[in-house]
Amino acid sequence: MTIRQRIVLLVVLTFAAIAAIGGYAVVQSRANAAEVRLVTEGVVPSTLASADLMARLKDVQQTVMALVFAPDDNTATQAADTLKAQQAALSQSLQQQQRQASNDTQIKLVQQARQSMANYFGAIEDTRNFKQSGQQEIAAATLFASVAQYQGELEQIVQTLRVEKNRSKDAAIAALNHNLDRTVRTVSGVTLIAAILLSAVGLLLYRQIARPIGQMQTMMTGIAASQDFSQRLPADRKDEIGRSMVAFNAMIEQIQTSSALLRQKTADIQSMLQHMPQGILTVQTGSIIHPEYSAYLSTIFETTDIAGRHVMDVVFSNTNLSADALAQVDAVWGACIDEDAMNFEFNQHLMVGEVEKTMADGRVKVLDLNWSPITDELGNTARMMLCVRDVTELRKLALEASDQRRELEMIGEVLAVRQDKFHDFIIGTLRFVDDNEILIRETAERQIAVVDQLFRNMHTIKGNARTYGLNHLTSVVHEAEQSYDNLRQPQPVIVWDQQQLLAELAAVRAAVTHYARINEVSLGRKGAGQNTPAPDRYVMVDKAQILDTLHRLEHVNTNNLHELIAARDAVRKTLRLLGTETLPHMLSSVTDSLPGLAHELDKAAPLVVFADEGYVMPAHAGYLLKNVFMHLMRNALDHGLEAPDTRLAVGKPATGTLAVGVTVQGGKLHITLEDDGRGLALGKIKEIAAHKGLIAPDTRLNDDETANLVFLPGFSTAQSVTEISGRGVGMDAVRDFIKREHGDIAIRFTDQAEGAPFRQFATVVTLPESFVVQIDAPLARPPERESVPV
Amino acid sequence: MAQVLIVDDSSTVRTEVSEFLKASGMSVTVAVDGKDGLDKLRADSGIKLVVSDVNMPNMDGLTMAEKIRGELNNSAVNIIMLTTENSPVMKERGKAAGIKGWIVKPFNGASVVATFKKLAS
Repeated sequence: MTIRQRIVLLVVLTFAAIAAIGGYAVVQSRANAAEVRLVTEGVVPSTLASADLMARLKDVQQTVMALVFAPDDNTATQAADTLKAQQAALSQSLQQQQRQASNDTQIKLVQQARQSMANYFGAIEDTRNFKQSGQQEIAAATLFASVAQYQGELEQIVQTLRVEKNRSKDAAIAALNHNLDRTVRTVSGVTLIAAILLSAVGLLLYRQIARPIGQMQTMMTGIAASQDFSQRLPADRKDEIGRSMVAFNAMIEQIQTSSALLRQKTADIQSMLQHMPQGILTVQTGSIIHPEYSAYLSTIFETTDIAGRHVMDVVFSNTNLSADALAQVDAVWGACIDEDAMNFEFNQHLMVGEVEKTMADGRVKVLDLNWSPITDELGNTARMMLCVRDVTELRKLALEASDQRRELEMIGEVLAVRQDKFHDFIIGTLRFVDDNEILIRETAERQIAVVDQLFRNMHTIKGNARTYGLNHLTSVVHEAEQSYDNLRQPQPVIVWDQQQLLAELAAVRAAVTHYARINEVSLGRKGAGQNTPAPDRYVMVDKAQILDTLHRLEHVNTNNLHELIAARDAVRKTLRLLGTETLPHMLSSVTDSLPGLAHELDKAAPLVVFADEGYVMPAHAGYLLKNVFMHLMRNALDHGLEAPDTRLAVGKPATGTLAVGVTVQGGKLHITLEDDGRGLALGKIKEIAAHKGLIAPDTRLNDDETANLVFLPGFSTAQSVTEISGRGVGMDAVRDFIKREHGDIAIRFTDQAEGAPFRQFATVVTLPESFVVQIDAPLARPPERESVPV
Repeated sequence: MAQVLIVDDSSTVRTEVSEFLKASGMSVTVAVDGKDGLDKLRADSGIKLVVSDVNMPNMDGLTMAEKIRGELNNSAVNIIMLTTENSPVMKERGKAAGIKGWIVKPFNGASVVATFKKLAS
């Protein structure tokens, strides 16, 4: 039941009670009024009338006396008339009494009175007759005898009637009083009961309304005081209070969510301020640093004394800003803080973006500064936020990246020139530079002839450099040439300054030397090369790789440390990749020959799987690796992999697999070869070794020792140690060949079946550090390799 | 009728700022000190924006601002100060005189023109 329904119910009940009490009182008072009317209009007058009867009787008596003793006839006649009237009145009174008789006793008494009155008046008639006839004495005698007797009788009856009437009147009044009393009591009683009932209902409803409201209020106050927004009101009621509680709970829920969010945000911000590798501070009125700042600021400024200090002291002291610039920055704070936000805009041009700050020990940090206003709801700048980043490393890296970029571009330029031509160009250029140096040193003052010669030399260098597209050289040469050109003019703008000219020349020489060094050191193209160079002297460079790297450098965001590092690493990788090849590429001639060999041996061409982990091999490893793996792979195909039928019979695929893996451990390159053939035939090896007299027939050997027998000289039918790429070359020759390059070869079992006739194994070729090209991460192989032979 | 009044004792600043604002399409009049500024402001009711130096002979910029609000009873005109320094005392006086903005010299037009146009319209 809702509160509205309860209140309506209470009002309805109250109305009902009032109506009931009122109705009852009306009914009762109506009944009482009727009774009162009965008493006042019937009983009481009747009683009074009964009293009148006595008086009338007395009157009749006197009239009779007057009649009897009337001195003359006239008086007697007069008395007789009066008597007649009195008789009629008396008779009427008795009739009235009869009408008003309220009980049998009264009726009987009235009838008796009428009877007695008839007798009485009969006697009076007799008396009057005696009188009229002149018989005065008889009339008197009759009067005193029968009239008096009847009169006494009548008086007796009337007296009795009067008493009876009085009694009846008293009874009626008593009954009336009783009724009134009862009415009063009943109405009082009903009123009392109604009052009690209404009070009870009212109390009940009050409790049902007021108590939950009180409880709700207490709980709301409790929640508000404790700020424990996880509490909920018991919303099990269906009325307005229940709905209020549901609404309140929803509000609390909202507050809980919001406050949790706020807490989370605050915690996040605090955590950010504590952990972000960036300095953030805010500056308040008076250019003072607010106590909340990011922890990293201490790392940047190398002090924990930051909060509450003047921002100029903490951030801008000992920087490369001039006194004037400092004064401007100092004024900017005042011009912006507590002022309209537009002032930030007005003064933005003075907010320096980068400063170099000298620390206590003399180190210089490059700090990147980012300014922003924190505006309040009025649009004023309440505080200024300053984000400080230590970009020292970043700037260094950017410089490094640009150096590397130049290096890479120069490599590209060098690679575009044939080795012999480049060699000639360097030699020729250096000769011109030497000439110019001598000319400048020997000439103290400007001489047109000398300047002309200088210009011609430098112009030739520039022309050649342009022809070969050596752009980095061209720009340096151009500067020197410009100076000479100027000095050549009749009215030169510059003067003949030997030191300046020598410095310019030194720059040209340095650039030329740089190109030469790249050619010789980075690209290994020392000397003039040959007109038809041997294939091994080619340097294979992936053009796409260089272009990619250059592109990457062009688009690198120099403000992003990670991007810069990534770009630098990419360039490093590219530089290191120069003159390298992937193993599959290097061994392609070997793998290409396998199908033909397989055909000869009636075997299926094996599948060769490389897992080179992105490692690449220096080009000079090609000769060795090709020869070694030609032998190992042929061995595997011949002795390891079974014929297709045999393979299928033991549940293997018809095609065998050769797996080549590359790892680098302890700085050494390990190349493993495994096949999924029958394994190493240890019994056969022992047999051959015994047969060839390498071991005594009864020698006891473990599997490793047995396996190592294959490396003994004379185990195979090797004819020559130099021609190992053909068939029939012994493993001893292979080992010798590898050892000459300071590497080694070994057989490693890959199963645990010690003593079995066939064991699975891997052949491991180990090569020294010089064969390892270290790159930072495994390389994704470009889909197409466009090789540029130089 | 001009929109902007430039008050500065330095003819260089006056020329620089007014040429820039004119180039940005604003009408400009100039005054050489605070007194002159007040006269110009009395004479031209079209001025909506006053850009003033602080330190000037005869009458400084802050005093002029106070008189604009006081003597001239002109509370509508926007006042912006060109300054080289900014002290709490200056700021307080500026606040009382309803100074809208502070621009630390050197004046850089590019960043202010849009706001100037708004203030001068």
